[in-house]
Amino acid sequence: MSQMTVYTARNIRTMNPSLPEATVVAVKDGRIIEVGTLESMAPWLEAHDHVVDNRFKDHILMPGFVDPHLHPTIGSMLLPCHWVTAMEWQLPDRVSPAIKTHEGFMDRLAEIERSLSDPREILISWGYHKIWHGDVYRKQLNRISDSRPIFVCQRSFHEIVANDAGIDWMEPARDELERHEQVDLETGRFFETGMFLALKSLKRIMMDPERFAQGMAQMKKLMHRGGETTVGDMAFPLTDEAFEWEMLSDNFGSDDAPFRIAITPRGINDMASYGGRTADELKRVNELEERSTDKLRFTNSIKLFADGGFNAELMQLLPPGYIDGHHGEWMMAPEVFEDLARLYWNAGKQIHVHCTGDLGVELALSVLEKLQAERPRFNHRFTIEHLGVSTPEQVRRIKDHGGIVSAAVYYVHELGEAYWHGSIGFERASQMSRMGTLERLGVMTGFHSDFLVSPPQPLKLAWVAVNRIAESGAVLGERERTSLDFAMRAITIDAAYVLNMENEIGSIRAGKLADFTVLEADPWETPLEDLKDIPIWGTVFEGRPFPIK
Amino acid sequence: MTTRIPITILSGYLGAGKTTIINRLLSGDHGRRVAVLVNDFGAVNIDASLIETEDDNTISLTNGCVCCSIGDDLGAALDAQAARHIPPENILLEASGVAEPKRIATHVGFWPGFELDALIVAADAETVRNRANDKFVGQLVRSQIRHADIIALTKTDLVGPEAARGVKAWLRNQVPNARIFEAPNGTLPVALAFGADRASNALSGPVEPAPHSHLRTVMCVPGTGLSRAGLARAIEALPSSVHRVKGFFRDLETGRMTLLQCVGRRHEFLEAPTDTETVLVLIGVGSDTEMNGAMDLLTASDALEADPKSTFAARISD
Repeated sequence: MSQMTVYTARNIRTMNPSLPEATVVAVKDGRIIEVGTLESMAPWLEAHDHVVDNRFKDHILMPGFVDPHLHPTIGSMLLPCHWVTAMEWQLPDRVSPAIKTHEGFMDRLAEIERSLSDPREILISWGYHKIWHGDVYRKQLNRISDSRPIFVCQRSFHEIVANDAGIDWMEPARDELERHEQVDLETGRFFETGMFLALKSLKRIMMDPERFAQGMAQMKKLMHRGGETTVGDMAFPLTDEAFEWEMLSDNFGSDDAPFRIAITPRGINDMASYGGRTADELKRVNELEERSTDKLRFTNSIKLFADGGFNAELMQLLPPGYIDGHHGEWMMAPEVFEDLARLYWNAGKQIHVHCTGDLGVELALSVLEKLQAERPRFNHRFTIEHLGVSTPEQVRRIKDHGGIVSAAVYYVHELGEAYWHGSIGFERASQMSRMGTLERLGVMTGFHSDFLVSPPQPLKLAWVAVNRIAESGAVLGERERTSLDFAMRAITIDAAYVLNMENEIGSIRAGKLADFTVLEADPWETPLEDLKDIPIWGTVFEGRPFPIK
Repeated sequence: MTTRIPITILSGYLGAGKTTIINRLLSGDHGRRVAVLVNDFGAVNIDASLIETEDDNTISLTNGCVCCSIGDDLGAALDAQAARHIPPENILLEASGVAEPKRIATHVGFWPGFELDALIVAADAETVRNRANDKFVGQLVRSQIRHADIIALTKTDLVGPEAARGVKAWLRNQVPNARIFEAPNGTLPVALAFGADRASNALSGPVEPAPHSHLRTVMCVPGTGLSRAGLARAIEALPSSVHRVKGFFRDLETGRMTLLQCVGRRHEFLEAPTDTETVLVLIGVGSDTEMNGAMDLLTASDALEADPKSTFAARISD
């Protein structure tokens, strides 16, 4: 048995309402022994060998932050790209500043090009968005380099723009590119299905194991800087199960990685190929769960999908729909969704459903209502993931049927104003990510980054929820702001509940795993608009301090 | 002449009968080397005696067809077909039930080495009208039908002739001039799925009959050159019982041999080798009178020349 460590702190925000604040926490073998003061825990200290560690005497301890929904695989693919972004991103080895003009975009890209030491490197940039960066064309990219292939990838992969060197480097011959309806060689744009031609060549680079491993190393640093100690991989695998499992095991399975990942398998192996053989799907999921370890753990949950991506404007909307009249898409046929939801409901699993638009939420709720009628369950934690556009009445129904929410709160910050002007109008755009309603109706809610939808920085998510400061700096939807308590619960104990792990993590109390996020300032003593800027010292993972280097 | 492999997309919402169509097409004795790309490999159900080899994601059949699973990378699945020792003559691609057909048509129709032949949408006579009004998928089902070159109306035997007529009337109301083919038991003749045989440039070989169906093929060798503009106008005016037109003709304006391909309401003109023989082939479900009338309409597109019309016409029907 190892020695007990007694951490003193300026304050400990336990997120346990029975003992909300403390100054000392005793830790042994990775678990919390007791929380309180040196006086209150005297019986423990007298009975056991211990050291008092005062390194946090000027710091605030919080439970290790929980990010219940992100995608380590997508992050690992894109982090090694060169980022030029409209929002500021603090990356482990660099800051990608907020660049909101066309000139700014081109200048930054040119600067990156000049900084590359290897003349053979293919320059792949990520983060371009027309709303802020205007049109980027082949000839403009040629001016940056006429010899190095340059590919500018749109933020949510709507399009890729290439220079001439890039077009020449690609596999397909020019005449095959020329005839494509969604490739425009004059402007160098590969959009929608035309983009697959560009990706065909780029994938060889992006899925290179060495590059991918570098991406995963950056991913870990980024999560650590955000103060995260537990994250949910909310749909395993992305594409290649064996490769992704190997990468996760190598990078997150070791003792020096201060995280655990709660892995939620896809409830459908291949979106298109589901043939109604539910027994096969259940068997696959159950077999995956047998791999569970402390650090890569399966939590009796599965992920299903309703409607399309929010950033891609493919969410399914109830009337009046989109301003331009286009339609969203279903990621799974509604009947398939219902079929699989019933399978996993009856198997006692927790069902997470990707829902971005109010018609998507409607589908999830109508199925939940059916399942409750067929075979009522308590504590099922049917989770609406994202909740982009929704109605207040739907939130009431989520509550009535025992559902919970894992929310993409960042949408309103990045896209609120853009969707007001260009997609769905003010009323619905200003109420996207309606966290205030969730709080008023008492719906259990976690906040997630869904990285790369938003940065894996829970304090930044909480900042969005309490302020709803949109990208211009204006407040959007003030009635949907939440209290600080609600927001801080949503990145700790309530996020742990979403992952079915609230008995082990999410608050600081005797018996739980000793995961702490160490802050330089107390969120409750910080102006709400500065919440995101509280410096993070690092984390303690299962009792071991991991400072941010 | 193009050397791209033509793709026929089989779209349609869940339960529309796509899998039955695929199973029948795969086991049919039609002499066409077809690769069928499916989403759900497990649903493919073929008599074991027709299977030559089988592995995790490919079944090779004794009739020269193969069936492969698409997996999660459509482009890679197409590349694998193009890379085969003997590439297929045609590809039938099963679209996911929730795919917007126009998007998938653009994706595969412009994939290097491939081109779109036809977009066939299966519609279930029993359920299509309800589905088209469904709160969740109504818009998608209507969009699938609207974008079809040819609608394969399945399960008509289950609803009876009167109800089938009702569904057809409703479909035509949704899509004026819709090309509808009744496929009660899931039989989609290869001539309808892939058009007249590509193997012979001149299309002059025997035109295959389509057993057990009401599909007719009408062939004609126009005695003169034809005008593109005239043909385009004639195609607009074709009755909805004509599903496909393919032919080689001498373009009156340019004097060049030209290939006309028309599926449903969509047509294109392409350059053809100079030594191709002139011929027009119509495939459809009209009566003899209707089909011959349609052929007359097309061959009348000789506005620049005065002289004789068809010198030869062959008609094959079951």
